[in-house]
Amino acid sequence: MIKELPPGLALQKVDERIMTLNVGPQHPGSGHMRIIVQIDGDFIVACDPDPGYVHRGEEKMAEYRNYITNIPHLERPVIHDSCNVLYPYVLGVEELLGIEVPERAKYIRVIASELNRCVYTMYWLAIYGIFLGHSTMFMWPAGDRELLIDLLEKMTGARVTHSHFVPGGVRNDLPPNFEDVCLRQVNYFEKRIKEYAAIFYDNPILIARTANTGVLSREDAIRLGTTGSVLRASGVDYDLRKKEPYDVYEELDFQTNVLKEGDSYARSKIPWLDMMESCRIIRHALQKMPKSGSVRVKLKPNPKGGDDSVYKRVESGRGSLGCYIVSDKKPEPYRVKLSVGSFRNLIALPYLLKGEKLGNMPSVYWSLNYWPVEADR
Amino acid sequence: MNTATGIIKALNSGIKHLAVKRFTLRYPEEKLKFVGDGYQFDPSTGVGIAGYKGRHMLFHDHCTGCQLCSIACEGVAEAIAMVKVPEEYKHNKKAIMPQIDYGKCVFCGLCVDACPFYALYMTNDYELSSFSKEGLIYTPAQLQVKPYVSQDSEIKITDRGATHG
Repeated sequence: MIKELPPGLALQKVDERIMTLNVGPQHPGSGHMRIIVQIDGDFIVACDPDPGYVHRGEEKMAEYRNYITNIPHLERPVIHDSCNVLYPYVLGVEELLGIEVPERAKYIRVIASELNRCVYTMYWLAIYGIFLGHSTMFMWPAGDRELLIDLLEKMTGARVTHSHFVPGGVRNDLPPNFEDVCLRQVNYFEKRIKEYAAIFYDNPILIARTANTGVLSREDAIRLGTTGSVLRASGVDYDLRKKEPYDVYEELDFQTNVLKEGDSYARSKIPWLDMMESCRIIRHALQKMPKSGSVRVKLKPNPKGGDDSVYKRVESGRGSLGCYIVSDKKPEPYRVKLSVGSFRNLIALPYLLKGEKLGNMPSVYWSLNYWPVEADR
Repeated sequence: MNTATGIIKALNSGIKHLAVKRFTLRYPEEKLKFVGDGYQFDPSTGVGIAGYKGRHMLFHDHCTGCQLCSIACEGVAEAIAMVKVPEEYKHNKKAIMPQIDYGKCVFCGLCVDACPFYALYMTNDYELSSFSKEGLIYTPAQLQVKPYVSQDSEIKITDRGATHG
């Protein structure tokens, strides 16, 4: 009996016209992931994304560590967005243990997670620029990202993996004089990202490359279960910060950005518009934040949850990010499951690439806001 | 907007940047300034003090050898080992103190949160590279030394762009 081989390795019937091409698994984008495309001349006839090369077993590891020592591990899937990745876990543990978070800590969390969303989006934008051969768009976001990384470093003490959120608040209060520095650098950051319009988003060459490629209709976006910027670029107004406000988002003034086109240009524009909303949220949160007060509730050394389970989700840089925690009266969780936006957006890739030119594959793939390490966990 | 003006506008916005100041930290000559003297923790209030999470600093006159930092690190990186120290202290009968392996440490600072005796803090020192794996293991005697850091550059925002002054 012949053992069945995984897709891509199996011998296939030779067709006169169709050629199978393996893109990856070295580095088609950021992180190891393979896209198996079948091409007829320059046109893609079928596509099979093959994730799973960076599986680290984060969920299984979480079952052997207690609620506090899980924190540095669970922010590893996306180190550029580490506050947002940790957010649903921390919210879930708070509900399990029945902790009430101080008001000031909630505002600090919102500011940290919005700064982190911008840091992630700038990194994503830099890679998107270099995918399209626009090297200025690689250099500018990579440089301007430093403004926000500097703020996060002042706040949390680390440049990328912050380990800042804990059940019961945040680890430390803001440093003195932080509000002024934050306001100054966020205002300058907003001025800088507005300059990207002329060189990138209004650039006719970019529009010619990305408009009307990989079109995802509104019905397909809902049917395939996509989330985040992909869903909002297809004309569905769905943002968890508005629909299921967590912490203090319902008290803050912002709007969600929706575009109708559903092509790769719209999908790349939504995160950029979201960054400007993030700047508004940060300014408003700095204004409304209580000037003093506690930022952390003291916990027992080894907190235990009841016989309960909880599911919490937040809007991360890549869409809805959920965390399901089951506790069984032990200091360690019985099960931690992450439901990530990256994996849900990847499902749309075979539908988007059918009939496209091979040269458009990188821009369509990266416009899905996909992060291989997060999808494989 | 038609194609020609769009392309000219794009080129123009790039050309404008010839007059903008350089936003680059020239690293070995300039070093970024951090807030405070490093991450610290106050066990009486249960809240940390903002600062950079760099190399640790151990106060021998406070450490009781209770192993709480080592227990906190067990689930994270297993970087802390308790080793014998030659000196004898009245508050440290077992004469054991933490030794930190920076080949494993992830600089999360949970060991600092675990210390109830104000004995373990973090400092602004992040230049820990070494030629050997053994050179990354810091003994209690090495951790006692306060690092010398000269970090003074900060992000300055002017009309002609941001720069590291």
